[in-house]
Amino acid sequence: MAKSKRSARTRRSAQKGFAILALLLLVVAVVVVAVLDHRVTKQFEGRRWTLPARVYAQPLELYVGQTLSAAKFTQELSRLGYIAQGPAARPGTYRRKGDRIDLYVRAFHFSDQEQPALQLRVVFDGDAITELTDTQGTDVPVIRLDPLLIGSIFPIHGEDRIVVSPDQVPPLLPAALKAVEDRKFDTHHGVDPLAILRALLTNVRAGQVEQGGSTLTQQLVKSYFLDSRRTLGRKAEEAIMAVILESRFEKADIMNAYINEIYLGQDGRRAVHGFGLASQFYFGKPLSECALHEIALLVTIVRGPSYYDPRRHPERTLERRNLVLKLLAERGVVKPEEAERAMKKPLGVTDNAGRSANYFPAFLDLVRRQLREDYPEEALTEAGLTVFSTLDPLLQEKAEDALSEELDRQEKSGRKSAKGLEGTMVVTTPQTGEVIAIVGGKRASFDGFNRALDMQRPIGSLAKPLVYLAAFESGRYTPASIVDDAPVELKLPNGQVWKPGNYDKKLRGPVPLVRALTQSLNLATVNLGMAVGLDKVAKTYVQLGLDEAPPAYPSMLLGAANLSPIQVAQMYNTLANGGFRSPLRAVRAVIDEHGKPLKAPELEVSQAAPAEAIYALDRVLIEVFERGTGKPARRSLPPTLVVAGKTGTSNDYRDSWFAGFSGGHLIVVWMGHDDNSPTGLTGTTGALPAWAKLMSSISTTSFEPLMPEEMEDRWIDYFSGKETSPYCNGSAVSLPFTYGAVLEPSETCPPGISPEEAALFAPPAEGTVGPDGAPLPSPIPPTQP
Amino acid sequence: MRLAPVPILVLLLIASGCTLTPFESDTPKGTGTHTQTPPAPGSGPIITSVPEVSPTAPGAEPGSVVAPTPLPRERPRTPPATLSPASKALVGQAQTQRKKGDLPGATASLERALRIEPNNPLLWIEMGRLRMDQHNYPQAEAMGRKALSMSVGDNRTQSQAWLLISDSLNARGKNPQAQEALAKSRELSQF
Repeated sequence: MAKSKRSARTRRSAQKGFAILALLLLVVAVVVVAVLDHRVTKQFEGRRWTLPARVYAQPLELYVGQTLSAAKFTQELSRLGYIAQGPAARPGTYRRKGDRIDLYVRAFHFSDQEQPALQLRVVFDGDAITELTDTQGTDVPVIRLDPLLIGSIFPIHGEDRIVVSPDQVPPLLPAALKAVEDRKFDTHHGVDPLAILRALLTNVRAGQVEQGGSTLTQQLVKSYFLDSRRTLGRKAEEAIMAVILESRFEKADIMNAYINEIYLGQDGRRAVHGFGLASQFYFGKPLSECALHEIALLVTIVRGPSYYDPRRHPERTLERRNLVLKLLAERGVVKPEEAERAMKKPLGVTDNAGRSANYFPAFLDLVRRQLREDYPEEALTEAGLTVFSTLDPLLQEKAEDALSEELDRQEKSGRKSAKGLEGTMVVTTPQTGEVIAIVGGKRASFDGFNRALDMQRPIGSLAKPLVYLAAFESGRYTPASIVDDAPVELKLPNGQVWKPGNYDKKLRGPVPLVRALTQSLNLATVNLGMAVGLDKVAKTYVQLGLDEAPPAYPSMLLGAANLSPIQVAQMYNTLANGGFRSPLRAVRAVIDEHGKPLKAPELEVSQAAPAEAIYALDRVLIEVFERGTGKPARRSLPPTLVVAGKTGTSNDYRDSWFAGFSGGHLIVVWMGHDDNSPTGLTGTTGALPAWAKLMSSISTTSFEPLMPEEMEDRWIDYFSGKETSPYCNGSAVSLPFTYGAVLEPSETCPPGISPEEAALFAPPAEGTVGPDGAPLPSPIPPTQP
Repeated sequence: MRLAPVPILVLLLIASGCTLTPFESDTPKGTGTHTQTPPAPGSGPIITSVPEVSPTAPGAEPGSVVAPTPLPRERPRTPPATLSPASKALVGQAQTQRKKGDLPGATASLERALRIEPNNPLLWIEMGRLRMDQHNYPQAEAMGRKALSMSVGDNRTQSQAWLLISDSLNARGKNPQAQEALAKSRELSQF
């Protein structure tokens, strides 16, 4: 009795305990569901994908007179993902008939205006646009193409995406997703028990996981809210959240979220999310322009982005894509004939294995750094900014080619010191101070050490023009002034004695400045710099655009200062821009996700030095190509193209530099070894040929600054600096002087001599290649057209 | 040894009876038979009338510069700068945007034009006017100076550039300099 009583009590207390436990469990379940519900609803309602800033290249401007051939234009169009198709009846298509191209330009939201999609007719005559009209035949003065997407600034965890709105999604995509991944999507409540059961059976039979029973909603939940661990608890959580999501939101919302969220591939550190970016990543065009076979491929990739990577495993991916197409026909999404036709098409992905087609890490790095001055990191990686950069994709490609071809040529020379040679290039448009291309190294798409921005090397003779600028600025020197190319010994602050020498160990005695600079004479330059004053020379570095002057040691005169290629570009840009300093920009404009313009670096100019001094220096730098260390490049440049520039070689041939410009472009080239070992190259034999190769392959204009008002041209003798006649054989050079400059007349070939008399003089015997040029500079091979 | 030919040449010269008349200057036009002549870039139009140049002043160091004495010489005038149709359209667009107060838009339009015609002084003046609207007066002046440097010989454009500079100086209270710039603008507009 007592026993039974006790057992009854026990039973009762057990029941009670059970009830309490059940209650507790229920409470826990309710709390869990409530918590999940709160989380799902809040996160999904206010959903904002972290949207990395998207970076675009500069758009191609079309206008009558633009230098562009029909062939080059079609190249540009295909780079932008335009396809040659029919009568060009929808955006993203064009039709070429000889010299006439009809195209349908895509709509694009620029920083300053929303340009609608529009049809254009462009007529070419050789290398120029001669007619630009709309379909009614009305002239269009100027129009931009939609620019090339060159990358995004994604955060450390590497998630990148382009969000698309439902109207940018071809209806075929959701239909195909449903047909292949989740047939009951329109009716289920988040989970599909039958599908799970079916999957379970298939998997048990196969002995491995072959089929997922997840609905699109579950896949979305997994990707959006959960990490990738696969435990039973996770599965339950995922199912509950899917049900919650379905009860709270419309099917259309869920589908749109899925399309933007799902993971679709890997590009190095960057994870490709959403169909919007996937379309760009695989096909180089917007999602709205994808055809059936492309949509089928994207749907294939969803299943396993690394297993069905169309670039790495094209065969099995094609097989699966065709299976998807077959399924679409079977399930009535498309007509069987359509599926048949689509199956015959290739995968159609852009090449460039494992890399998106347009990947310019060195340039993007500069964009990122310039943006960081105005924006916090999160704003760049999450806020959905659109960045309009200054990159010129066509020129960037040419720069990459020119540099790698020249580095290859050097390596093939078989010289030991040329093995593993590296290089870098920076290209700007001087007048607007825009950086339009950066090549970071031999492998331009390698995202590593950014030589153009971070490498600091002695600039060698690139420093000389600054000495001459200080000299001209002092008002005590002209290009004809005489300086002594004679030995010099200088006591340094540390007590050491500095005894520089000329490249070829020769002494030339008194020489005019024009010769001293064009032939890059070390001793003449040091003597000049000491006479002008080290502080004055150091100041010119700041005038031309550096943040601070290098230490004012005598060795600075010969380029001991360590500078990066981009810093060199900044200084030389000022010389190329008629003495106006413009801070180099890689960003033109930034807009937020609603299209509102935000802060961006502005075009600025400021006069860095007196116009006369800059003009005289620029004219002497032109002579570098006529008589000095740049002369070997002359034969590979277009004969009428006027350019100016300077070679640079550091001690023991460790660095080979060339910085030079035309009217439209400044190019800075460096070659050397990352470990700073000697290269055996001078500026003339290493960097110059790469510079010339690029300069001659682009469409550019002559460097023809206007002579300042108070100056005039006079002829002087290159060797003596005395005033002479243009008829005097070979040695007469025309240079600018301020009115009334006193010049000593040449005794041997004076200014007024007649052509007949002048003809009696023999050409000068002196060689024209100076210290930076090798004694016998290797010939520059003709550049490819 | 490289200079060895020089005495011979001098002898030849004397033998040929060449008179050494300095500064009987005849402006070199073009290249003649002389193949090495550099293209003389930037010299713009060839100077057609060359007035006398005073012979070397006694005691003056050769190669040095004497104070630029005002010389009665005129650089040839060039026709006023004009805009290409593309630039014209973009300048028109920028002006509309300015009127609407859309200064970033106007900047973008003008920069587009500048990329097409970076050497057109009119565009730099237009850019300077925009900087005035943005109250960025130092940049307005700098753009004016840039326009001056690219319009040597073009009085009309230079007059406009000086007017811009004068306005920017005025806006900063630099009245005497502004007056000076204005006088230059007026003087140039007379031509």
